[in-house]
Amino acid sequence: MNLNYNPPSVAQPGGLQTVLIANRGEIALRVMRTCARLGVRTVALFTDADASAPHTRAADEAVRVPSYLDIDAVVAAAVDSGAQAIHPGYGFLSERAAFAEAVEKAGLVLVGPTAEVMERMGRKDAAREIAVAARVPVVPSYSMTDARASVSYELPYPVLVKAAAGGGGKGMRIVRTPETYAEAVLAAAREAKAAFGDDTLLLEKYVESGRHVEVQVLADHHGTVVHLYERDCSAQRRHQKVIEEAPAPTVDAELRHRLTSSAVALARAVGYTNAGTVEFLVDNSTGEFYFLEMNTRLQVEHPVTEAICGGLDLVEHQLRVAAGEPLSFGQDDLGIHGHAMEARIYAEDAFGGFLPQAGTASIVRWSAHARNDHALEPNQVVSTSYDPMLGKVIVHGPDRESARQALVRALDETSILGLTTNTGFLRALATSDAFRDNEIDTAWLDRADRGDSPALSPPDDELPRILVAWTQAMITSLADGGHPFQADGFRLGAAPAPQRVELDELVVVDRSAGRVTTGTASSTRAYDVRELGAADHVLTLLVDGRRVSAVVNVQPHTAEVAWQGQRFVFERPDVMGDRGPAVGDGTMLAPMPGTVLAVRVAEGQRVTTGDPLGTLEAMKMELALTAPFDGTVTQVGAAVGDQVALGAVLFTVQADD
Amino acid sequence: MNVNLVSMSVTSGVTTGPVKGEGLVELVAELREKLERARRGGSESARRKHTDRGKLLVRDRVDRLLDPGSPFLELSPLAAYGMYGDPTLEGGDDWAVPSASIVTGIGRVAGRECVVVANDATVKGGTYYPLTVKKHLRAQTIAAENHLPCLYLVDSGGAFLPMQDEVFPDREHFGRIFFNQANLSAKGIPQIASVMGSCTAGGAYVPAMSDETVIVRNQGTIFLGGPPLVKAATGEVVTAEELGGGDVHARTSGVVDHLAEDDAHALAIVRSIVETLPPVGGRAQSRPVDVEEPHEPPESLYDVVPADTRTPYDVREVIRRIVDGSRFHEFKKLYAETLVCGFARIWGHEVGIVANNGILFSESALKGAHFVQLCNQRGIPLVFLQNITGFMVGKEYENKGIARDGAKLVTAVACSVVPKFTVVIGGSFGAGNYGMCGRAYDPRFLWMWPNARISVMGGEQAASVLATVAGRPDDEELMAPIRDQYETQGSPYYSTARLWDDGVIDPAETRRVLGMGLAATANAPVAEPSYGIFRM
Repeated sequence: MNLNYNPPSVAQPGGLQTVLIANRGEIALRVMRTCARLGVRTVALFTDADASAPHTRAADEAVRVPSYLDIDAVVAAAVDSGAQAIHPGYGFLSERAAFAEAVEKAGLVLVGPTAEVMERMGRKDAAREIAVAARVPVVPSYSMTDARASVSYELPYPVLVKAAAGGGGKGMRIVRTPETYAEAVLAAAREAKAAFGDDTLLLEKYVESGRHVEVQVLADHHGTVVHLYERDCSAQRRHQKVIEEAPAPTVDAELRHRLTSSAVALARAVGYTNAGTVEFLVDNSTGEFYFLEMNTRLQVEHPVTEAICGGLDLVEHQLRVAAGEPLSFGQDDLGIHGHAMEARIYAEDAFGGFLPQAGTASIVRWSAHARNDHALEPNQVVSTSYDPMLGKVIVHGPDRESARQALVRALDETSILGLTTNTGFLRALATSDAFRDNEIDTAWLDRADRGDSPALSPPDDELPRILVAWTQAMITSLADGGHPFQADGFRLGAAPAPQRVELDELVVVDRSAGRVTTGTASSTRAYDVRELGAADHVLTLLVDGRRVSAVVNVQPHTAEVAWQGQRFVFERPDVMGDRGPAVGDGTMLAPMPGTVLAVRVAEGQRVTTGDPLGTLEAMKMELALTAPFDGTVTQVGAAVGDQVALGAVLFTVQADD
Repeated sequence: MNVNLVSMSVTSGVTTGPVKGEGLVELVAELREKLERARRGGSESARRKHTDRGKLLVRDRVDRLLDPGSPFLELSPLAAYGMYGDPTLEGGDDWAVPSASIVTGIGRVAGRECVVVANDATVKGGTYYPLTVKKHLRAQTIAAENHLPCLYLVDSGGAFLPMQDEVFPDREHFGRIFFNQANLSAKGIPQIASVMGSCTAGGAYVPAMSDETVIVRNQGTIFLGGPPLVKAATGEVVTAEELGGGDVHARTSGVVDHLAEDDAHALAIVRSIVETLPPVGGRAQSRPVDVEEPHEPPESLYDVVPADTRTPYDVREVIRRIVDGSRFHEFKKLYAETLVCGFARIWGHEVGIVANNGILFSESALKGAHFVQLCNQRGIPLVFLQNITGFMVGKEYENKGIARDGAKLVTAVACSVVPKFTVVIGGSFGAGNYGMCGRAYDPRFLWMWPNARISVMGGEQAASVLATVAGRPDDEELMAPIRDQYETQGSPYYSTARLWDDGVIDPAETRRVLGMGLAATANAPVAEPSYGIFRM
C-alpha cells in the first residue's frame, strides 16, 4: 500500500483559514476535530438552547443564530466571522439547494456539491432520469396506461400500485398475484381519488425483501471520481438507520463492482463534486439492485467507510476538494481493510415503544475500545427539541464476526445514566442470530414492531437488581462505621443479620456470606455472589460463577444501573405517596414530554372505548390518547399548544358504573 | 460438667489456660445454641400458620423495621426459659414460652437508637405471661432512662388469662404499660405503635395511647372486647374487621393514623414516622439537609389555584409545589379529609403543615389538635395554609358540640410553642381564622396571597344576616352597601395596609418566603409546650 493520506496530512487545505460549521452535536464536533488537526479555525453556530452545548464551546468562535435553518443568519454569520467555507454536516441545511445558492452568492464555498447538482439530485424524478441516462438500474416502473393496457399476467410480481399524487400510504396496494390485480387497481384509484382528487396511478416493481446498500463517492473539481466502497444500512426502523456496516456482508466482488461503477457513473453524469452517497436497494430474491436516491452530503455513517479505508479522513478530503485541491489518490490506491460497524445511540426507550426520552444525563461512559463520535456530557440536558441521536459507537475488526463481537463489547461498555437510551436494544440486536447471520432486511425491525416477527427482548432485570442491592449494602456499611451502632448487622451470639435492601422488591444481601436473595417468601431466589471489584461507579460481581460488570449510581430515592447497555431504574417506593392516580383508573398521563397537538374532548363529554381524547407530539411523533373504557371525561388537563412534562395528567375518564 | 470444670479450676487456683479456655468456648457454644432456639420462637406449625397469613415473623419484622445493616442489642432473649413448662411433662418444657413471647431491644431506625417492643404471635398468640409484662416494662424503663423513642409492633391476644392474678392487678402488672406510655409521652419520648395482628382488651391501649399509630389492613384489629364478648354482652353479631379493623380505625374512629397494605408497608411507615422525630440533641443543633426542589415549578401554582376562592381544589396540589421534593408525609390521610395535615421539609427545614381542604367538622378539629400537639412534642414548626370559610353549622353539629372540638384546635394552636407561619391562600373567615392560626394566634409571620379574603364572614352572609336581624330580609337597598363594605374590607390590600399581615406575596414565592421565615425563626430557642384545659 502506498497511500499518501496515511498518516493524515497536517497541511491546511489551500486558502481555507476559517470554516463555519452550520450544524450542532456530534457531527459539528467531528468536523471541528479535523479542522483543528489541519490548523483551520472553526466557527460554530448556536441557538439559545445550545448556548453552552459542547459544539459551541469546542469552536474557536461561536455565533448565535435564531435557528440552524435560518439561511440568511447562517450565511451572515459566516461572512461576519471571516469564514471562507461552510461545512453543513448532515441534516439541517445540508441538502437545501437554496442554501448552497446563498452560500455561492455570498462568495463563500460550501463543502459539498454545487447548488445546481444539489437541486437536480434533490428531486426524485430528476434523479431517476439522470440515473436512467447513466444506465444505473432504477426500480422498474410502468405508467398506468401501459399497465391497464397490458395483460396483468405479464407483470413482474409483486408490484406496487400507488397514487401518482400520493404519499403516506394512501392509495397504495401491494399486488402479489395476477388474480388480485384488477381489484387492487380499482381500490387504489378510489382511495387516490378520495385522498388527492386525482386517480392517476403508478405501478412499480415491489421488492419484498431488500437490503439497503449505499456507495460512498468522492469527486474533486479536476475530473477525478472515486468510490470508497459500500455500506449496508439494512438495520433500520421506520427509515431510521440503527446499525450500519462496511463492507456490505451480502455483496460479492461481482455485485460490488456493478454497484460501485454505477455510483461512479452517476456521479460523473451529474458532474458531482465533494463527498456523496448513492443509495441502492438490493433485492434479496433476485440479487438485482435499484437506485434509490443520492445524498449530497456527508452521511451519519461515514465513519465505517473511514475505518475500512485505512483510517482515511473523509472530512479532510471534503475540505481539500472544497479548497480546489485535486484528490491525492486514485481508485487503485484504495482497498477494503477489514470490517467496520456503527451503532447509533438514540435518546429513546426502545423497549418501551421507542418513545423519545428527555432528561439530564448523569453518568456517561463510552467504551475505550471503540471510536465514539458523540456530543453528550454528564449533567447535559437532553431535550426533545433536536435530533434524538446522542452519539455513534464505531468499531473495526479484521472480519465481520470480530467486528460484531467488538461492537457487542463496546455497547456493553457504553453506560448512559440519567435518561434512557437505545443502547441495550442495539446490544440485543447486535447479539441476535438474525444480525449475526445477515438475515436482517430493511423491513425486519418494522415487522418486529408490528409483531409479525419476534421482537428483541430487553435484558432481564434480575442481575441489575442484585448489582444495585449489593452496591446499596456496600455503601451503607461503608458510610456508617466506627461506632458501636455501626451498620454491620450485629446480633447477640449469632451471625450478623443480612442487609435488607428495599428496591422494587426486597433484596436480602449478606455480603460476608456472599449470598443474595430476591423474591417473595413464596418464591425465593438465592445467588452466590462474590465481589471482584468496585470503584468509580463500576461494580463487578461473580454471580453464580458468572462475571457481571455494570455502572451503578445509587441515590437517596432512586438507583440506576447500566448493564449490557440497558438502563434500569429502581425507585424506592414512597410509603406515604399512595395518593397518586394509578394506572388503569382512567387517568391518562403524558407518556412522554412534549406538546399537546389536539384536544378532542371537553369535560363532561361521554366517550366510548377507543375514542380519541387528544394528541401529544414529541420529536415529530404523535401519540393519540384514547379512552380506556366507556365513561365520562371528568378532567381535561391540557390545552392545545401546551408543553407538558412526563407524567402530567392530560385527561381523566370516569368509568360508567 | 463444664460448670464444674470452671469452678474447679478457680477454687484450686490452677490457671492452666487450655482447660479454662476450652470450657468457656463450650459454654459460649451452649449459649449460642440456646439463643438460636429462643429466636425460632413458636412451634413449626405456629410459625407456618403465621407466615401463611402473609405475616412476617417477629424477628423479621424487627430486621425490616431497623435501618439496613443496623445492629440490634436484644434484651433478655432467654426470658422465661424453663419457667412455664408443663410440669406434667417428663422433665418439663424449658421452651414453652421462648423469649417470654416478646422481643425487645435497641436498634437504629432512621439513624437513631430506638427501643423496639414486638410481640411474638407464634408463642401462645403473643399473650402476656407475667414475664412478658416484666420484659415489656423493662424495655420501657430503658427507654425512659435513656430517652429513646419506643416502637411497639403489636400482635397480641392480651393478658394470658389462666395467670391473670400474676398479670393484671398489681403495680408492676399490665396496666403499668399504659401508665408508662402516658408518662413517657409526657416526657417527650415518642410512642409509636404498629398494629400487625390482634390488639384486644387492655392490648388495645398500646396503639390508643401512642403518639402516632399504624395498622395493617385486613390483619390488625383493635377492640376492647372481641366479637365473642360483644355477642355475650349485647347479642350483637359482628366480624372482627367490622368491629375494629384497619379501615374502621383509619377512616371512621380515628384510633389509628396510617393504614398499611401489609407488614412491610407498615414497618416502612413506622420508619418514616421516626424520620420526623427531632434529632438527638434537639432540632436547633441540626443544619438543614440537602434541599430538593419541588417536582413542579412554583409558577405552576397559577394553574392549580383558582382565583375565585369558591372553586374547590385539592390543597395537596399547593403543598406539592411548596415542599422539598414534593414529598409529604401525611397524617390521618383517610380521616377527616377536610383538613390536611402532614410533615414535609421546606428548604431542608422540617415543618408540620395544616391546610384546609374544605369546611371544618368536629373530626377535622380533633385531627388538627392532635397534629399540632405532635408538632409541639417534636419541636417542628407549623405552617398553616389557610383557606377556610368556617366550621360546619347546623343543629346536628352544634348539638354534638362542634364548638367544644373547635376549642380543642384553638387551644392547641394558641398554646403552641413552636414557630408558626400562616399563609392565607384563600378565604379567612370567622372561627376558621382562629383554628388556623390567624393574626391573634401569634404566628411568627403571616402572609397573604393576592386572591385572599379576610373578614368575620363572607359579604353575602353578612348582608343576609344583618338584613334578617333588621327585619328586612331580601332588602337589596340594605344589603348592597354591606356587601360593598365587606368587599372593600376583605381585600388583601385593605389588610396589608393596616399591617394585619406581613405582606401580600406572589404565590410562586411562597416556598422561598417560608424558607427565609423558617431560617429566621431557627435563631430563637423553643420553649417546652404546656396547655390549658382541653374541653373534652
